[in-house]
Amino acid sequence: MSTSTGALPPDSRLTPPRRRPVTTVTAAVTVAVVLAHVLAWNGTEFSPAALVQGWRGMADFAGQALPPDLSWDGVLRPGLQAALVTLGIGLLGTTFSVPFALVLALLAARTTAPNRWAYQAARSVLSFLRAVPDVVFALVFVTAVGLGPFAGVLALIFHNTGVMGKLWAEAMEEIDLGPRDALRVGGASGVQAAAHAVLPAVLPQFVGLLLYRFDVNVRSSLVLGLVGAGGIGFLVNQSIKLFRFDEMVTHLAIVMVLVVAVDQLSAYVRRRVGG
Amino acid sequence: MTMTSPTWPAPPGAAARVGGAALQVRGLRKSFAGRTVLDGLDLSLAPGEFLALLGANGSGKSTALRCVVGLERPDAGEILVHGRPADTAPPHRRMAMIFQQIHLVHRRTALDNVCAGALGRLPLRRSLTPLLFPRELREEAMVCLDRVGMAGRAAEPAGRLSGGQRQRVAIARALCQRAEIILADEPVSALDPAAAEQVVALLADLAHEQGLAVAAVLHQPDLARRHADRVTGLLHGRATLDTPAAALTAADLATLYAPDHQHHPDADQEHQ
Ligand SMILES: Nc1ncnc2c1ncn2[C@@H]1O[C@H](COP(=O)(O)OP(=O)(O)OP(=O)(O)O)[C@@H](O)[C@H]1O
Ligand SMILES: [Mg+2]
Repeated sequence: MSTSTGALPPDSRLTPPRRRPVTTVTAAVTVAVVLAHVLAWNGTEFSPAALVQGWRGMADFAGQALPPDLSWDGVLRPGLQAALVTLGIGLLGTTFSVPFALVLALLAARTTAPNRWAYQAARSVLSFLRAVPDVVFALVFVTAVGLGPFAGVLALIFHNTGVMGKLWAEAMEEIDLGPRDALRVGGASGVQAAAHAVLPAVLPQFVGLLLYRFDVNVRSSLVLGLVGAGGIGFLVNQSIKLFRFDEMVTHLAIVMVLVVAVDQLSAYVRRRVGG
Repeated sequence: MTMTSPTWPAPPGAAARVGGAALQVRGLRKSFAGRTVLDGLDLSLAPGEFLALLGANGSGKSTALRCVVGLERPDAGEILVHGRPADTAPPHRRMAMIFQQIHLVHRRTALDNVCAGALGRLPLRRSLTPLLFPRELREEAMVCLDRVGMAGRAAEPAGRLSGGQRQRVAIARALCQRAEIILADEPVSALDPAAAEQVVALLADLAHEQGLAVAAVLHQPDLARRHADRVTGLLHGRATLDTPAAALTAADLATLYAPDHQHHPDADQEHQ
């Protein structure tokens, strides 16, 4: 059979379809991409020369920053305390966004949305919360509740609700709808079907995404500190303003340990739950 | 029609009087994007009767069942449950559907899955999580599991059971729902012959011993012949065959499963 194929007369029906030739479209896309980079180069005042000229400044900076200031009472202890506050901001910001993210995700997933109107409304709210960066929320809340970590927690709750709600809604839209339909046929309400068919199916993904967001939020809360919303970011900002670069290096080292520890922990737990 | 007039077909053990039908479907129509799938389908199902639905792939069996339980909205037609119009959308507490893909929640125990059949009659505050299910419900669910021979596996996650065991748990869920009509779409197509035999026999028992009205789409005419009371055959969205299962002939089957292009009006047009 297969050995005789070569001897068969050519059959026009079996000619493989011709590949599309490299066309003007490809060329146009290439030109557009190159052009975009040229414009961006100019727009951002990208300048390797400035970097070379600034080299001396960098060397000066390094001279002042090293060796780091490791005094316990003056630098290390306040630094560690502030790192704990940063961790706390990330923790509360993540945990307290869970109920809001859950409700909005249930409304914003086609699988569980009660109607089109609620679906669109929830999608809009999530988009807004996601589009406003947490730093902007922090600036708003610093003016509302004053400088300090509480403003950071509020900022994270708002932004994280947007991001996590979207991620959770997407997870729910990807599941098999069969179990939900089976319960609906039997008379279960939408909320009941969500609680007994949809949520159990996505629980591992939900936990995985929650831990991932905790990791991201701890890192964000450092940046929030830079704008006055408490934690070790605030100390880093202060030492820069006071030109205490040796202090700053110590604080950055603490930040690095914190970030790596949280990242490892979150990755470990995610592996265990199989999210 | 009077009680004494002969009603044909007369399924054994079934009250086939018109007024006695548990489920009656008349003139059901459904098309998807201009393609007619159900073309005036008529079906009837009596309490205590086990009806087998046969038909080639694409003849509209699944669509028909999904329309009846409200998962799909029919374009036209009547669906009567004990003589009264069924609502056009779920919930239909009197009906339960069994699927080829079974559709249990794999992370939950067999018992919790069975209890979920009763959600329609539980208030939200007793049903938000399985922890809130009333004790009487758990006891009823155990009885249902026992009925399908799965009481011993009640505490196991559904995902750990075999296909045949899972399908029996799904049937127990329908019992816990207290459904009077069970519609099964290829309940045994993914099961090995022994498990398939067991599940079909169970469905037949539920009809004959508990008086449930059971209809099952089967792709094995042999199973239908041995267990069903009556066979309805679908061809291109219509019921073209209605016969006592014992009277099912090879010629009937040949007509039902004839290659598509011989009878399909659409296909005929394409060939012109
Ligand atoms: N949601 C849908 N959208 C579009 N077409 C559909 C949809 N559901 C079913 N169909 C079409 O309707 C026709 C009948 O499908 P149906 O699933 O009812 O057949 P079936 O008799 O159950 O076949 P099978 O034996 O393969 O399960 C098929 O051609 C299918 O493609
Ligand atoms: Mg089907």
